[in-house]
Amino acid sequence: MYSNSSQFDGNAAFSGGGFMPSQTTQSADPSFFPSKNRDAQALLPLTVKQIHDAFQSSDDKTNLIVDGVDVNNVFQVTLVGKVCNKVGRITDVTFVLDDGTGRIECNKWLQEAADTNVAEGILDGMYARLHGHLKGFQGKRTLNVFSFRPVTDFNEIANHFIECIYVHLYNTKIRVSVPNQQNVMNSTPITPTKGYQTQAVPPSNQFSGQQINGQKSVEDMVLDVLHFPANRARIEGVPRDLIAQNLGISLDKLMVAIKSLIEEGVIYEAIADHYKSTING
Amino acid sequence: MDTSNPAVFVNGELIPNFIGKKVRAVVQVNRCDGGAATAKSTDDCQLTIKGLPQVPLMNYIEVIGIAESSNSIGAEVWTDFGNTFDTDSYNQLCQLANGEFKSLFL
Repeated sequence: MYSNSSQFDGNAAFSGGGFMPSQTTQSADPSFFPSKNRDAQALLPLTVKQIHDAFQSSDDKTNLIVDGVDVNNVFQVTLVGKVCNKVGRITDVTFVLDDGTGRIECNKWLQEAADTNVAEGILDGMYARLHGHLKGFQGKRTLNVFSFRPVTDFNEIANHFIECIYVHLYNTKIRVSVPNQQNVMNSTPITPTKGYQTQAVPPSNQFSGQQINGQKSVEDMVLDVLHFPANRARIEGVPRDLIAQNLGISLDKLMVAIKSLIEEGVIYEAIADHYKSTING
Repeated sequence: MDTSNPAVFVNGELIPNFIGKKVRAVVQVNRCDGGAATAKSTDDCQLTIKGLPQVPLMNYIEVIGIAESSNSIGAEVWTDFGNTFDTDSYNQLCQLANGEFKSLFL
């Protein structure tokens, strides 16, 4: 599931399972029910600092809430960090994970032979990716580890923290900005939302837009130009000089937006320097 | 759970803000002279890393230690990140982790 490719396609990585369980149909559905996602397993990438802060700020210590998401109902969290203080026993192995923002105790139960092999592969000082469930016992938070994997491509470390930032932004800003669909977000914090919820906004505003507050980004404007009926009719696509002229922006700025749209698969280059949208009118 | 000893993501530009504190940086070692190595940070600043043993040159090394001055780190722990590492992403992460999203890290 996790691929360390250098091209990180945010749209593909975050849709269809993984961090944010989104429905594969892209149609805008204003009648959104949060209960649809009750069975969807959400996975939150977190830093130890985020867990610590959530723990400090929640009044009810048994219900941990991170960015408005009830972590106890979110079945899994994922962390990347350095393993320290490993203690191996017959039935389980415990260690401390230090991700640079803090340290958290982790516990992995050994139930099968494969688990024991994994446990032997856990060495102090190595970087690892963990998936697990946060558990609290007598006021102490530990991570019950389901999956442990050593990090081999160290870009995964930067990637994980960038994902933590993205997901934090998603939960705090993008979800708040659509209050009609999020019927819980603006109400009392006692009923937090359960995991990620699909956005009713079309993907072009969500992923290719660089601004979250609803203003049109360069990419949205490029798409608008390509969607003009007269431009859609062009078989060879719209020349980039024309797009730049229409929008009144520099070619450099335009190429940055075009490159990002191509990477997301929203537009393509039909003939040299001519672009067409892949979105049907 | 203990957040009392965090290591801040830094590049060359950010080190001066954390002198005397524990930092982490990914650098590319150019030269190793005995106890001090000359390295390039992810934003192309020259840094001196003290306490590094012989490391593979031109590989990316993550160094965790105390920032001793605006361009040197006293290494406590180091990890070899190989030679395929995206410095751009890491550099931007340093800027985000110390800017708008500081609360997630420190």
